[in-house]
Amino acid sequence: MNTDIHGLAGAYALHALTDIERAAFDRHLADCETCALEVRELRETAARIGEASFSVPPPRLRQQVLAEIRQTRQVGPGRPERRAPAELVRWRRLTTVAAAAAIFAAAVGGVSFLLGEQRVREQRAVAEAARADAVAAQAEASRMAAILNAPDAVLRGRNAPAGGHVSVVYSPSHNTGVAMLDKLPAPPPGHTYQLWVMGDQPVSAGVVPDGLTSFRHTVTGLRGANALGVTVEPAGGSVSPNMDTAITLGL
Amino acid sequence: MTHGDPGPALPEGDNSETPELLLQRVARGDEESFNRLYNLVAARVFGLIRRVLRDPAQAEEVTQEVLVEIWRTAARYDPGRGSATAWIFTMAHRRAVDRVRSEQAGADRARRVAMASVEREYDEVADAAATRLEQERVRACLGGLTALQREAITLAYYQGHTYREVAQLLDAGLPTVKTRMRDGLIRLRDCLGVGQ
Repeated sequence: MNTDIHGLAGAYALHALTDIERAAFDRHLADCETCALEVRELRETAARIGEASFSVPPPRLRQQVLAEIRQTRQVGPGRPERRAPAELVRWRRLTTVAAAAAIFAAAVGGVSFLLGEQRVREQRAVAEAARADAVAAQAEASRMAAILNAPDAVLRGRNAPAGGHVSVVYSPSHNTGVAMLDKLPAPPPGHTYQLWVMGDQPVSAGVVPDGLTSFRHTVTGLRGANALGVTVEPAGGSVSPNMDTAITLGL
Repeated sequence: MTHGDPGPALPEGDNSETPELLLQRVARGDEESFNRLYNLVAARVFGLIRRVLRDPAQAEEVTQEVLVEIWRTAARYDPGRGSATAWIFTMAHRRAVDRVRSEQAGADRARRVAMASVEREYDEVADAAATRLEQERVRACLGGLTALQREAITLAYYQGHTYREVAQLLDAGLPTVKTRMRDGLIRLRDCLGVGQ
């Protein structure tokens, strides 16, 4: 047993290895039954840490997920090619738990490794643009939760003409709303979506970060406003809205 | 295909429908079982991903991807290889970490690292007593670790750092961090009663 690489079992279970180290450890796992058992238990342990975080997702997530699975074909029970069937049988004979754990680890690792690589490429652009300041995001999340749970909160929403959905949850007592843009079409090149509080004088409520077509944002100062508006503006935003592109939600 | 020993079941409150059972039905295309599985795990999956990513909008996106992935690959889950929750949360955590890593080049990364607080506690909206108990238990077990073990594990798990990054953040040697992650997790395992 390679004790040096074996020592990485904890980091492996915590997903704290780079992809290259991870691949090396996967190979090591195939030959080390003790490690396989240990990794299985450490993974279960890590999952327990993960499970202890609890946060109710917005109700629309369920609708989105259910809509998406209806259009998603399921894969069969075949396993990733990493392991030859003969080897698999031998492993099962050796010791059920250890062997099963190794295959489990390889299967999960293999699948998520491939998916992860693809994800990284696909989403790098989106994710880099979308990075919000950590503290601000946390504060924003608490504010949002307060609005969404406010007893006087009302929901206004409509489908956007070119696809997607725009809605706002408005709490008069908080004088604040949560604007929610869902799956809008990407704005034209060099343009961006911008939010507005529509009153006598429209006031910008922020620009949607580049690359995001779904977005949630708290908007303050809604008392006395007629509507919340979403427009398409040149990148960086404008001082007054281009009303030709406006989607408005009456409050 | 014969299944091996299903392994230790994790406590799931008083639900008679275990995630294992639901996942097996989901594998056969049962949308209602998927809906029930959603009830069981969505808040915890979202909580975990949000905790790692911090940005609620991104967390929502990744949570959706993970839940759809559970649907898509449910047939690949084999109870003989571990609990359904470990399968689900391993996938969720991996996706969240992938998302974090994909941003490493960004300038925000440095800012985020600087602000990373090991012991940050979030004011999560928790409405399940079983989850609260589990949280307390995990917290208590984390509290039983040495500071270095705890920091190494939480920096990796909740912040998505590699162990090399963790070593830099903690100003500790690589072998030390590697070892603390492993012996810390082993101690947690024993404290939580995993694998017994």
